[in-house]
Amino acid sequence: MAYKLLEGIRILDLAMVFAGPICSRMLDTLGAEVIKVESATRPDVFTRANVYPENEPGEEPWNRGSFFHSINAGKYGISLNMGSEEGREIFKRLVKISDAVVENFSPRVMENWGLGYEELKKIKPDLIMVSMSGLGHYGPLRDFYMYVPGMEGMSGLTYNTGYPDQPPLLSGHAYGDWTLGATGAAVLLTALYYRQTTGKGQYIDVAGREAVISHLGEIIMDYTLNGRERMRCGNYHSSMAPHGCYRCKGNDEWINISVENDEQWRKFCKAIGDPAWTEDERFTDDLSRWRHREELDRLVEAWTIQHDHYEAMKILQEAGVPAGAVLNMKEMHLDSHLVERGFFEVIDHGQGVGKRPIPKSMPAKFSDVEDFVPKRAPRFGQDNEYVFCDLLGMPKDELKRLEEEKVIGGTPTFPPGRPTRIDLIEKQGAGWFDPDYLSELRKKYGIDIGQKKPG
Amino acid sequence: MGEQAFSNLKVIDCTEGVAGPYCTKLLADFGAEVIKVEKPEEGDVARGMGPFLKDEPHPEKSGTFFYLNTNKKSVTLNLKSETGVKIFKELVREADLLIENFGPETTSKLGLSYEIFREVNPRLIMTSISPYGQTGPYREYKATNLTVYGLGGAMYTMRPGTNPADRPVVEGGLQADYSAGLLSFIATVAALINQTRSNRGTWIDISAMECMASTLTMHFGEYSYIGLSRKTNPWAIHGYPIGYSSPCKDGWISLTPGIGGAPNIALLIGKPELQDDPLLAKPSARMAEPEKFDALIVPWLKEHDKWEIAKEAQELRLAFTPVLSPGELQNDEQLKAREFFAKTNHPMMGEVTYSGAPAKLSESPWRAGRAPLLGEHNEEIYGRLGYSKEDLIRMREEGVI
Repeated sequence: MAYKLLEGIRILDLAMVFAGPICSRMLDTLGAEVIKVESATRPDVFTRANVYPENEPGEEPWNRGSFFHSINAGKYGISLNMGSEEGREIFKRLVKISDAVVENFSPRVMENWGLGYEELKKIKPDLIMVSMSGLGHYGPLRDFYMYVPGMEGMSGLTYNTGYPDQPPLLSGHAYGDWTLGATGAAVLLTALYYRQTTGKGQYIDVAGREAVISHLGEIIMDYTLNGRERMRCGNYHSSMAPHGCYRCKGNDEWINISVENDEQWRKFCKAIGDPAWTEDERFTDDLSRWRHREELDRLVEAWTIQHDHYEAMKILQEAGVPAGAVLNMKEMHLDSHLVERGFFEVIDHGQGVGKRPIPKSMPAKFSDVEDFVPKRAPRFGQDNEYVFCDLLGMPKDELKRLEEEKVIGGTPTFPPGRPTRIDLIEKQGAGWFDPDYLSELRKKYGIDIGQKKPG
Repeated sequence: MGEQAFSNLKVIDCTEGVAGPYCTKLLADFGAEVIKVEKPEEGDVARGMGPFLKDEPHPEKSGTFFYLNTNKKSVTLNLKSETGVKIFKELVREADLLIENFGPETTSKLGLSYEIFREVNPRLIMTSISPYGQTGPYREYKATNLTVYGLGGAMYTMRPGTNPADRPVVEGGLQADYSAGLLSFIATVAALINQTRSNRGTWIDISAMECMASTLTMHFGEYSYIGLSRKTNPWAIHGYPIGYSSPCKDGWISLTPGIGGAPNIALLIGKPELQDDPLLAKPSARMAEPEKFDALIVPWLKEHDKWEIAKEAQELRLAFTPVLSPGELQNDEQLKAREFFAKTNHPMMGEVTYSGAPAKLSESPWRAGRAPLLGEHNEEIYGRLGYSKEDLIRMREEGVI
């Protein structure tokens, strides 16, 4: 019989923007009930406010942002004014019926509200609370104001990313935020397991920078063991060659190739038709190939440039050589492997947005466990009645009073909806626009993708 | 503080390299008994991966292996021998969890399927980590961190916002491996929570390519909502640059003029008269006229140290932060105050310093520890199963352990 892994676990989620919401989204995917708390004065603006369907902000733009839809799928959403005394009292009642609280405010915010862990523990003795921040909740720099560039930049990751003759490079995909959020989910589950065996709750302090350093184990150890400062080296590897990103035939098409040993090198040579240069003694063994890697790259690229990236990948993989096309966002959505494994799930966002493929945030497959598609991300305050009346047992007229007194509900404070400046992005060469994206998606995910019917 | 979270947990670990061992390292560092099953003679491939202590290649001196295998126990076992498979099943019978990264092909060849293990241990959780997953057209494709990073969509975004025409570049270190390891841990612990409540096991299929793709929180929506495929970070939504590195006197500083107190840049560089200058006041201006913006600010940056700039900027609520090297982390006041780095003695490596707890847990602590020597725990673990010293000598001669 199908079941959910975290059935019956309730998470109260005060987190905003990326890291925290990524953490709670994973927990939802694993079967927990997540209640996302926003307020009219403090909605989750950045993710709600960007990238609207067909680039039209439309009515109620705060319910139309794609980042929000992706990172908050599956959650319940309430609007509760934490700035008011009564709002905080209601929050405490919610704490009483929850298993964990997740937050990523800057340090001190929760305490200033009288909602620090010691206070909340009085209400719910076995509560788990996870605080996520840039540099952690204690220490001399705890108030450093930062976003993902701080977490990555102060970890050694940025220093190790990019080409040696160019500035250190921030990740393109907010990896530091993801790492903080995923680490938060990992330790929250660790604490839940502990609570299950001992009955005890706890407080957890996750620093984004420390989470990222944890992913740089061998880079840190080259310094602690040998005093060597590793730094950015493009796509080169410390021992493999060829190991790089090579241009293919099409426009902005690339393939990654990494040859791990001499055996794979022989397979590689055969796959590309044993051209004469492969016999050159500069390339006969691992070490000499590595020494002549720049020259090698030019010769490898002379082959890749004749093929499109999927084709080159197929040729090399059939020969047993690690090779992977560098996929763009269109190709990711249409990739046969990801489509067959169901990496993107179609979620119906209803009126004005319609069905869209949304990536999984926790892409594990579990046998015998219920495989469910998450609910659409909540519209602002959509679950007030469920949470306040059904869960807390408030009468409905009480809800009305709270709305009138602006403790709950209301219209979020929101900047005017702005379309994405595709023109600017194209001018800067920072991306490209595919006018047929809806019909491309419909081929793989159903003809009703993006149809904005009411619902 | 109480006990460690996983102190009652027994794990059989048949992973090698980076992703799988990172997952089981987290279990071991939070208290689980992790029995690492290695190939006789050669062991985990990571034993051959640098950096080595004093650059001397040696299977017991790899920093990569050390970091990824702290607190584990090592046994050697030849899974290609009949006796080996028999002993392996005895290990699995006693375990809560089996984690492997053989890949779909090998699992069926060796007869090491979940179905078989479930017969000996009905509540077993088995986590299978592979580059592409157990199903799908790429399932038998070969992979390295680099190729998974590209197939996961992340690499396409790895170009500087200031020069997006560049050849994509892989993120530093081994992020496709680490992110797969972290997600494997999350999935596994969720299954363990269920196991303690219901005694049910499950088989978990993890694809590193999908793990990498799942770290992209924004780019996919840009395609499915507006048809955009972006080649850089998405922070420049409305043309704002965020988090690009600018040179300063002693290295690099990461600038984020797109948010919040951008006008305070004028105060930072000691030119308050420019506070209303659109070049500084308008976040998008830097993107529109990068040369003009840089001409104004870079000369000042080049006269100041990264920490000096960052601390002054922070006072002005500017999210400017230093770009730190691995060595600089060792003297970082915040990391010191939080006792982030751990130190442990190793019989062949001496005192080793390495990255410590990924988070601070108030009740169930993380622990420091060292990596095991190859086969260090054969006697202890096989002894527990009832094998005598003589049995072990015989099995060694037969190449089983």
